[in-house]
Amino acid sequence: MHEESDSTLIARAKEEPEAFGLLYERYVDKVYNYIYYRTGHRQNAEDLTARTFYQALKHFPRYEDRGAPFSAWLYRIAHNLVANWHRDHSRRQLISLDQLATLKSPSGRDPDATTEKLDEEAVLLRAIRRLPPDRQQLIILKHVERMSNVEIGEIMGRTEGAIKSLYHRTLTSLREDLSSEWEELE
Amino acid sequence: MDEKREAEILAVYVEGLSGQPAAVRQIELTEEEREHLAPLFQLSERLQRSLRPVRPSPTFVHSLGRELVDDTGRQFALSKRTRRVMMIGAAAVGSLVSIVSVVGAIVFLMRRLRAQVQTQHAPTG
Repeated sequence: MHEESDSTLIARAKEEPEAFGLLYERYVDKVYNYIYYRTGHRQNAEDLTARTFYQALKHFPRYEDRGAPFSAWLYRIAHNLVANWHRDHSRRQLISLDQLATLKSPSGRDPDATTEKLDEEAVLLRAIRRLPPDRQQLIILKHVERMSNVEIGEIMGRTEGAIKSLYHRTLTSLREDLSSEWEELE
Repeated sequence: MDEKREAEILAVYVEGLSGQPAAVRQIELTEEEREHLAPLFQLSERLQRSLRPVRPSPTFVHSLGRELVDDTGRQFALSKRTRRVMMIGAAAVGSLVSIVSVVGAIVFLMRRLRAQVQTQHAPTG
């Protein structure tokens, strides 16, 4: 079935509550994923996702569709709320248990290998959270949302070339940060 | 090694991880580039494996969705009511202004007329 474009839904949502509901359904998973990987807790991710959409709803009458993706606006709201959340919880976040639980351990595998894998992934997630917010956003959009550089550029308000360059710098610094910790694990 | 070229190659490699392997096959790397970029390729693969999409609970999605639609409905109803009240208010003010203007005009004309009559009947000399 033909899916309505964001622009059509945005125009309709100015008149019909159900259309805003459709926009919500389209983006709730993406916003939740972004917040979840930025905070590491399901409960906080749910709370901040709800606040993101309530804030979007509050400011929606003044929202103007200027061709930028609607998701860029939502990510910006989520990004600001996460920044406030981090400011309020300024102590270093540890990887939560629910996060480790998402790293499924396939049955029948060597338990030591699974533990090692969990350790490795926990180290990786901790290192990602030490990155500056814009780099965390880039990593999440690239590897969780699997977006192209052009799409990420539209959301982050940068050119495709700037995204490629930022990704390269991000991976280089992440690798430097991780090298010592991974050596300890190996 | 040229950082811009390195960034380009890495970008093509990562796009390849997301389902465009054809682009990866087209990259021609020198031995030095391969050596230099190999750790970044490995890291990007690790990221791709580790960062899996998570899904919010369906109960949460459903209840938040319903709350938002209800809230939007309430917001629309409120703004409709506000608009209606404002229109009625504006119409009432408009009518009042019209009545006052008409009454004012009548009073003004009557006073003028009375003044004229008094001037005509006033003793001259």
